[in-house]
Amino acid sequence: MRAIAAVALNTFREAIRDRVLYLILAVALAVVGGSRFVAMLTVGSEVKIVKDLGLAAVSIFGLLIAVFVGVSLVSKEIERRTVFTLLAQPVARWQFIAGKYAGLLLVLAANVVLVGGAVLAAVALMGESPLALVPAIVLILVELSVVAAFSVLFSSFTNPILAAVGTVAVYVAGHLSWSFDLLRKRVATAAARTLCDVLHAVLPNLDRLDVKADAVHGVAIPAGTFAAAAAYGAFYAIAVVVLACIVFERREFA
Amino acid sequence: MSGALRAGLLLATAVLGTGLARARLVALDAPSSGSKDLLYLPNGKYLRAASLGQAPLAADLVYFWAIQFYSDYGRADRFRFTEHVFGSVIPELDPRFIDPYWLGALILTTEGGDLEGGLRLLDLGAEKNPREWVFPFLAGWECDHAKEYDRAAAYFDRAARIPDAPAALVRLVAGMRARGGNLREAIAKWEEVLTDPRGDDASHAIAERQVRTLTVRADLQDLEAAVLTFRERRGAPPRRLDELVHAGILTRLPLDPDGKPYRYDPRTGAVTSDASRVLGS
Repeated sequence: MRAIAAVALNTFREAIRDRVLYLILAVALAVVGGSRFVAMLTVGSEVKIVKDLGLAAVSIFGLLIAVFVGVSLVSKEIERRTVFTLLAQPVARWQFIAGKYAGLLLVLAANVVLVGGAVLAAVALMGESPLALVPAIVLILVELSVVAAFSVLFSSFTNPILAAVGTVAVYVAGHLSWSFDLLRKRVATAAARTLCDVLHAVLPNLDRLDVKADAVHGVAIPAGTFAAAAAYGAFYAIAVVVLACIVFERREFA
Repeated sequence: MSGALRAGLLLATAVLGTGLARARLVALDAPSSGSKDLLYLPNGKYLRAASLGQAPLAADLVYFWAIQFYSDYGRADRFRFTEHVFGSVIPELDPRFIDPYWLGALILTTEGGDLEGGLRLLDLGAEKNPREWVFPFLAGWECDHAKEYDRAAAYFDRAARIPDAPAALVRLVAGMRARGGNLREAIAKWEEVLTDPRGDDASHAIAERQVRTLTVRADLQDLEAAVLTFRERRGAPPRRLDELVHAGILTRLPLDPDGKPYRYDPRTGAVTSDASRVLGS
């Protein structure tokens, strides 16, 4: 556990020195800050626009961090050969991967707290209670934890470009996984229907973690639904990280 | 030629070329044909899928664009796709986004003169947001502007029945019933306001005055109609109002809100009331 914490802390420190992270954070905060001006373009509820833009900023810029920071986490260590120094220490390969993932999760959590906090403050300044947005922000973090797990998985066996493409593909597929349900009703053969079921079950159902629309309109998210969605995302992320550990254990370095 | 000079020349050429090409593009730009932009607006269902979890933001963006589009009064055929934008694309992306329904309805009814289209948008908003009394409320005003008072009353009545709707909505129902000529229904609604414990003193005072005024108007209307019937049957107006009861046209003679009988002039057949004079009608 100590080894994982050490790698995680190191990963976090390294990430927060990265200029790309600051650029993403600055743009995200600018979007949240500028949302009040954008809201002036609307006719009607300005607060809704501020909430929508704010939550989208938390989600989209979090995704950028998960992809751009995550995909180079392992490959950079391999490229610089620092992985050999690290693995020569009493650190198992799986601990290295788990630590990298935990470090990335810390970065994402810091981003969500910072940008999400700015959104809550912006909404509060407009005279509305921002509390209904909190479950949506928490579930955005859960969603990002799943995406980050995939970026670490891809990073553990391929180069950053392919890893980024793979992670974005999983994100897109995850948000469209509901369509397999529709497709299932239209295909004729049992084999095709089974394939639809399998793909729907295997791909991350990221739409299940999306409660932004409810939160923006002040619709209370049932505690059971929230807990089930959070548990689904957490378990899914753990499964992907375990897979990444297995892949990395079997990897041979030249 | 030095390197710096060459770079400067290249930059100047590039800037000049960009400017000329841009000017040509602007010159080639055809005047807006209105609905051309809308032909390629995807269905809301597809936009929702393509938004990858950002459907509310996509709804906001389409709404922003629609505001700009419909603010351009020079566009031809600008009402052709209004229902599609405000009643299909945006609601598919965010069905609880209230403003587009009423803005679209306002554009259709006020600018496009399409009351039915506007009401369809407001009805859709009410269907997707059954707890929002604002949709039938706005639909009621649209019908009022179109002088369709019974329809307006029905919408206000629907709005008033939604939980948390302001109690004052019943007054609008009563007002529309009166405007539509249904005086007895209007009186019944004003009596509802009068006995509503949620109402304040001002509201009760308004209701009391309306009940009094409308009762006189309704009674006078009934009595004048009865006099006319009597005249048609007998060839002459009655000498006294109680002849209307003897003739079986009325079951009883009403009294005015002060408990006094209505006054009748047998020479002209006109029925009047002291109470109505007090009320200034």
